Amino acid sequence: MPVSRRGFLQFARPGSEPLAGAFLSARGLEAHFAEAQAQGPRARPLLPPGVDEIRISSNENPLGPGRAALDAILGKFPEANRYPFNSTPSETDLQAAIAAKLKVKPENIVLGAGSQEILKNSMRAFVTPTRGLVTALPTFENCTGYAKKYKLPLTEVKVDSEFRLDVDPMIAAASKGAGLVFFNNPNNPTATVHGVKTVTDMVARIHKASPDTVILIDEAYHDYVTDPSYQTAVPLAMSVPNVIVARTFSKAYGMAGMRIGYAVGTADNVKKLAMLKMPYNVSVFGIGAAIASINDPQHIADERARNTEVRAFTVNALKQMGAKPADSQGNFLFADIGMPAKDFRDACAKQGVMVGRDFPPFEKTHCRISIGTMDEMKKATDVFREVLKAMMSAPAGSGKGK
Amino acid sequence: MLTRRRFVQTVGIGAAAYIGARGRENAIWSAFETPLQALEPNIICLASNENPLGPGKQVLDAVKAAFGPTGAQPGRYSGAAKDLIDAIAKKQNVKPENIVLGCGSTQILRSATHLFTAKDKPLVGTIPTYEECAGYAQMMGHPVTPVALTGDFKIDLDRFVAASKGAGLVFYCNPNNPTATYVGATATRDYLAQVAKTSPETTVLIDEAYFDYVNDPDHDTHIPVAIDNPRVIVARTFSKAYGMAGLRIGYAVGHKDTIAKMADWDAGAGTSSLNVLAMHAAITAIQRPAAEIADERARNKAVRDYTAKWFTDRGMKPTDSQANFMFVNIGRPAKGFRDACKAKGVLVARDFPPFEKTHCRISFGTMDEMKKATAVFEQVLAKKATAA
Repeated sequence: MPVSRRGFLQFARPGSEPLAGAFLSARGLEAHFAEAQAQGPRARPLLPPGVDEIRISSNENPLGPGRAALDAILGKFPEANRYPFNSTPSETDLQAAIAAKLKVKPENIVLGAGSQEILKNSMRAFVTPTRGLVTALPTFENCTGYAKKYKLPLTEVKVDSEFRLDVDPMIAAASKGAGLVFFNNPNNPTATVHGVKTVTDMVARIHKASPDTVILIDEAYHDYVTDPSYQTAVPLAMSVPNVIVARTFSKAYGMAGMRIGYAVGTADNVKKLAMLKMPYNVSVFGIGAAIASINDPQHIADERARNTEVRAFTVNALKQMGAKPADSQGNFLFADIGMPAKDFRDACAKQGVMVGRDFPPFEKTHCRISIGTMDEMKKATDVFREVLKAMMSAPAGSGKGK
Repeated sequence: MLTRRRFVQTVGIGAAAYIGARGRENAIWSAFETPLQALEPNIICLASNENPLGPGKQVLDAVKAAFGPTGAQPGRYSGAAKDLIDAIAKKQNVKPENIVLGCGSTQILRSATHLFTAKDKPLVGTIPTYEECAGYAQMMGHPVTPVALTGDFKIDLDRFVAASKGAGLVFYCNPNNPTATYVGATATRDYLAQVAKTSPETTVLIDEAYFDYVNDPDHDTHIPVAIDNPRVIVARTFSKAYGMAGLRIGYAVGHKDTIAKMADWDAGAGTSSLNVLAMHAAITAIQRPAAEIADERARNKAVRDYTAKWFTDRGMKPTDSQANFMFVNIGRPAKGFRDACKAKGVLVARDFPPFEKTHCRISFGTMDEMKKATAVFEQVLAKKATAA
């Protein structure tokens, strides 16, 4: 047997020394951005010996890619030196595989280095100083951040009392001639979803009032939804002008680190994003892993079932502690914990459990918690219980809660 | 459901099965010691200025390590960009604030074009050169000023100084792709000094993608100039001598203010566009001993000398190549030559106007590949060129 293969098996043996030390300090992408910009030192929680960090802060899939995807990456080693257009399969093959899976044509697909490139390029393509962005609050901030940074008109519509995107005011704002509506379904960080009827109706109303407004429906968490009223908006994107669906391999497909996303829409709209696309934005490893994952749908079904089970356990545990989670249709949940997220986060971090950042305007009461493995969530909920109990028994006005 | 444990136990076998299904098992596992055959078997790819040997075992081992002990780590957003920036800064003797990463140097070139050209601030570049900046400028509706090369296919510095006046960005690709020619470090420094005087608002982007392949005695990086002068940026890539074109990592080195501007524009799709496996590969690659890169330079030079002599002996003139490819006057349209070679399993490069009627760009594979390729060239060139 060749040395290299044996080497990997030895390396991968459970209990062997983890070589990838850098990962131990790796945190969520959001934290990473802040850090990359500040280029400051990394905060590394000091944990007692034997306590592993449980990272449930960035809506990642705790298991990573499926075996088929990992095998495909290994299979791509001989092509590390080849540009993605020269590799077999190539980036064009990935585009075609996605198109086939969604029953659309390759011209209806554009690849992104994560769906973030899709979101950014949608802002560039469709938002102008006179035609702004309509989005939710709170929601995934990429588009909002871009609008603020480049001083583009921005309307943020607060979620409704059930923490769902508040559709009517969003329609009203969009109908005034918005350039782009960002509609995250399920919505990050609240984890709530809207059914296909609501989405279809919204699209029709916006399209009627403002035909040039583009509606970007971000379905990053599509594979985790269990609400039967939900359906993908891909058919809408193919039949109604100016609807684009964004998807990612970062969530159920377990490849956040691989940076692969895509947009689906009419050829005309996709062309506008394709113009802005970075050439060769998906690596040969990413191409191999993504195609292998598409060809392994059972893995995604298993991952959905696993997440559903752990999500139900976590929701139940939180309810028993007196916390109130919003209806979760993602691999995370947004819970009213009755205390500032920062205090909760800091207290949990001391015990190695990393939960989500602040999400104004709910940072005084709500925390976003990603769903890890069952084992991780059993440990994490024990920590939550302890932290919430300590907080409730602390004398009012003791200063601990800020 | 597949458990992680099972993945751990079977990943090697699984990989072999995947590869076996593709009929390339031998190529995979011998990859670490011998030249790769990445495309379809028996196809020789001399079309994209890639390194035929790949990144080497150490770097691929780093990719495996980045899987993490259970294979879960590619599922995590990664903070490895910071470590990669630190490693590059150390290697280049600069500070981390002087480095910005890109998804290949492609992203660096696009960012610079985005930030420094405008409707009234043209992009200046040779014709032909690597097209990324010009393509992006055109898409944005920003003017492009093409500057002809000298008779020996080098950057014409006199014309460049004149064209640089009032330019937003000068794309200075050295060695120049596709002509493979190199302007010595002294002449380049003089050019930069002149632009600083005559057009202080102009930014010059020096693309040193092929830096490690240069054998010219007057060879030096312009990183020190870039660190001092906010109007000079150096672009580098892991795609060439480091053999990692498929992994998509490049970077820019420059004055901290210029780098901050680029990082700011790229905050959304900048570091977020780099994949974790590639970043770990690059952290290992940048620490490879200089002797290994020198070996790759020497290997390439031997192949280059062989190929240049082969064409020269047959009366076809190649440019003075200082890279892992060359631009050669084959006395016939590139397209006919390319199509005929392709039919015989050898891929050479696309058209490069305005020289597409006479010149072809040929990348260097391994010596073995070049011997096979020249045998194909012999057959193809023996036939009269058909009308273009």
